[in-house]
Amino acid sequence: MVRYELKVNGIEQIVDVPPGTSLTSVIRDDLGLTATRLGCGHGSCGACYVLLDGSAFASCTMPVDEAVGHEIVTVEGLSQDGHLHPVQEAFLKEDAMQCGACTSGMLISTVALLEENPHPQEEEIRDALSGHLCRCGVYGRIVKAALEASR
Amino acid sequence: MSREAPRRWGERPPEQLEKRIVIGPEGEVIARSGKVEYGQGIRTGFRRIVAHELRLPEEAVRVELGETDVVPWDGGTFGSMSTQTDGQALRLAAAYAYKLLLGRAAARLGVAAADLVARAGVFHAADGREASYAELAREGPLAGPLPAATDVTFAPGLDFEPEPDRVEARALVLGQAVYPHDVRLPGMLRGHVLPPPRPGLHLVSLDDTAAKALPGVVAVVHEGDFVGVLAERREQALQAVQSLEATWSDPEGDPEPPLEAQLRQDKDVDAALASAKIRHEATYHTPHIAHASILPSAAAADVRKDGADLYVATQRPFGLRDEAAAILSLDPKDVHVHPQQMSGMYGGGGWGSAALDAIRLSQAAGRPVLVEWTRAEEFQRSAQRPWLDAKIEGAVGPDGRIVGYRSHVRTNPHIYASGRVPPEVAGMTSGRNAVPPYDLGQMDVSLTVEQAQIQTSAFRSLAAAPNVFASESFMDELAALAGLDPLELRLRHATDPRLRRVLETVGEMSDWQHRPQGAGHGFGLAATIYHGTYCAEVAEVFVSPSGKVRLGRVFAAVDPGRLVHPDGARSQIEGGILQAMSWTLFEETKVSDGRITTRGWRDYPIATFRDAPQDIEVRFVFDRDTPSTGIGEPGSVPIAAAIANAVCAVTGARVRELPLRPGRVQKAMP
Repeated sequence: MVRYELKVNGIEQIVDVPPGTSLTSVIRDDLGLTATRLGCGHGSCGACYVLLDGSAFASCTMPVDEAVGHEIVTVEGLSQDGHLHPVQEAFLKEDAMQCGACTSGMLISTVALLEENPHPQEEEIRDALSGHLCRCGVYGRIVKAALEASR
Repeated sequence: MSREAPRRWGERPPEQLEKRIVIGPEGEVIARSGKVEYGQGIRTGFRRIVAHELRLPEEAVRVELGETDVVPWDGGTFGSMSTQTDGQALRLAAAYAYKLLLGRAAARLGVAAADLVARAGVFHAADGREASYAELAREGPLAGPLPAATDVTFAPGLDFEPEPDRVEARALVLGQAVYPHDVRLPGMLRGHVLPPPRPGLHLVSLDDTAAKALPGVVAVVHEGDFVGVLAERREQALQAVQSLEATWSDPEGDPEPPLEAQLRQDKDVDAALASAKIRHEATYHTPHIAHASILPSAAAADVRKDGADLYVATQRPFGLRDEAAAILSLDPKDVHVHPQQMSGMYGGGGWGSAALDAIRLSQAAGRPVLVEWTRAEEFQRSAQRPWLDAKIEGAVGPDGRIVGYRSHVRTNPHIYASGRVPPEVAGMTSGRNAVPPYDLGQMDVSLTVEQAQIQTSAFRSLAAAPNVFASESFMDELAALAGLDPLELRLRHATDPRLRRVLETVGEMSDWQHRPQGAGHGFGLAATIYHGTYCAEVAEVFVSPSGKVRLGRVFAAVDPGRLVHPDGARSQIEGGILQAMSWTLFEETKVSDGRITTRGWRDYPIATFRDAPQDIEVRFVFDRDTPSTGIGEPGSVPIAAAIANAVCAVTGARVRELPLRPGRVQKAMP
């Protein structure tokens, strides 16, 4: 076991985990923050994305030691004092989800996109989110939600 | 044993009010259904139906789904039937409960029922006196068999109320929804199973020395052909399973003999086919595809000597309960199935999957166990959609009338079943929508169901999507031979007024008469009647010289009868179109020597944001008095043929095999 200090959703956390454990496992299994989902383990579906210093990354392919010293934000950290983040509000307004399995990753990447490019064009949204798979077929609604949140 | 007597296909037990709706002593309303929610929005729809009949705000009603201890028995959530069957049962139960409450209120207040007004759970009399649902419910249980629909009065005007948010939506955006993967029980271990390379093989030898020596490993479970590992952490269990060295027996046994079914047999089909000058024959093929849920299967089980709790995602809670009871030698009433939030399964959630692993491992451990499959396991251990071949012949007379139609469909079982299904069930599943919804003269439609090399199962719309790809592609081929517009040909042969209406509507939406055609850009059309829902779709496509197909706009005209939740229904049609365009353009499960070799998203691409249509326009055309039919599956049924027909209209390439890969399209170009 190796001890790591992490800053997640503004809180300092200490975990003791086997070396090489993925950031997804630490977030889900050691910190109990299950909004971050494990879809493939290879960084190819987008379900596990988290914000690292404001940018979106796949946490399933990131060993936990690489996250040390960075500000990590998960979906649990998007809302503040019971107030939804504007991106969460927009997803609700457009009903941009069905089963919800991809929703956490979609929210994270949309937040990161709008941080970097507050008024993206539709094509830019599609490009920014293209690493995220949705099987229920709500891509169109997610694009609308991202546009809504950028207004 | 308390197991219910087996029911025939489609048969349902008699309905009791108290199993459907409970009004507690504080006036809290619980509505119950054996159906499960996986993103299709039935919880929201059911809540809306019940609240409306009881004249309550929607927040006042809580819907419990699939909890086997309390909900009425149910065969499973399949076939776009939830609103049609359970929605109707709940509507009737709520209307009946309202009638009983109204009667009690009238007696208690000594006024005529007609003079009472219900608002937010309270009946008000003209003189200001009132009686709440809570106090009326305390007079005695609201119970008894549900009356006929004609014996109650339904509340008017649902379609004019504002649309609700989906019940689960807030928990989903907050990340609070609990999937089986997120269940954490005291003392819980993580488990992983070593599956045989293909189902049914026997374990010959096992060396677990290396696995047992790994950190975190608690035990290796080895009982007959079942092998699994229990560990403290998920990745430790997985690593240990990968260190097991096992050898397996060779496959044995012969496949089941094929089953034949005649779906329609008119007289003199040969003569009709021979009578016309224009005759055509074509064969279509669709491959195995995977449900490819975004989250691989997972389940938590807590098996004790006297009972078991299962935290699962399943489309058949009662089926799983009975299967678990048989494995564990428990009475089914002691197995408690708790459906969790479910990553969409699209028909693939009809069997035990990870739950069966978790049950065996928890029984061996004597502790709760969570099993999470890997992405590769999800592809390789899951049952797939059957392949399907349809050989179709047709003949068109000089007046542009189709006078004969013969189709022979070969496919696999479209439901997950261990043994043979009766021919009528094969017809309803593997033969679904093989008979076109048009008057095509003398028709002969037959079916052969044979076992695939791999396990097959239900998939959204069962055989309807593959069958309609074949028959609606064929309609366009006949239209071309007869020199008729594809919409005109369909309208000439559609006698059902609701089918005509969706065809005409989609023609209007897409401005079909003035559609541009050529220069790599064009439109295609297809339609279906699926379980009573009418759906016609037009796809706009762009085809590159290399054969790459991209979707522009998609138009859908849908008649599902009375709409309960229009935006939820719209989302289902959009999602059906999007998922099925992905099947059509990209998807094929690779099978070699009886094994699935597909491992991950890199060798099983599905549609991404870049592939999604530019826009999907859905228009509902319906009569308020027509009972609701399903919307989960119909949208996915016609789109493959609409795309293939569009590709042919643009390039002249008639592709009769899916997926429409660039190489395949380019090769078919004249």
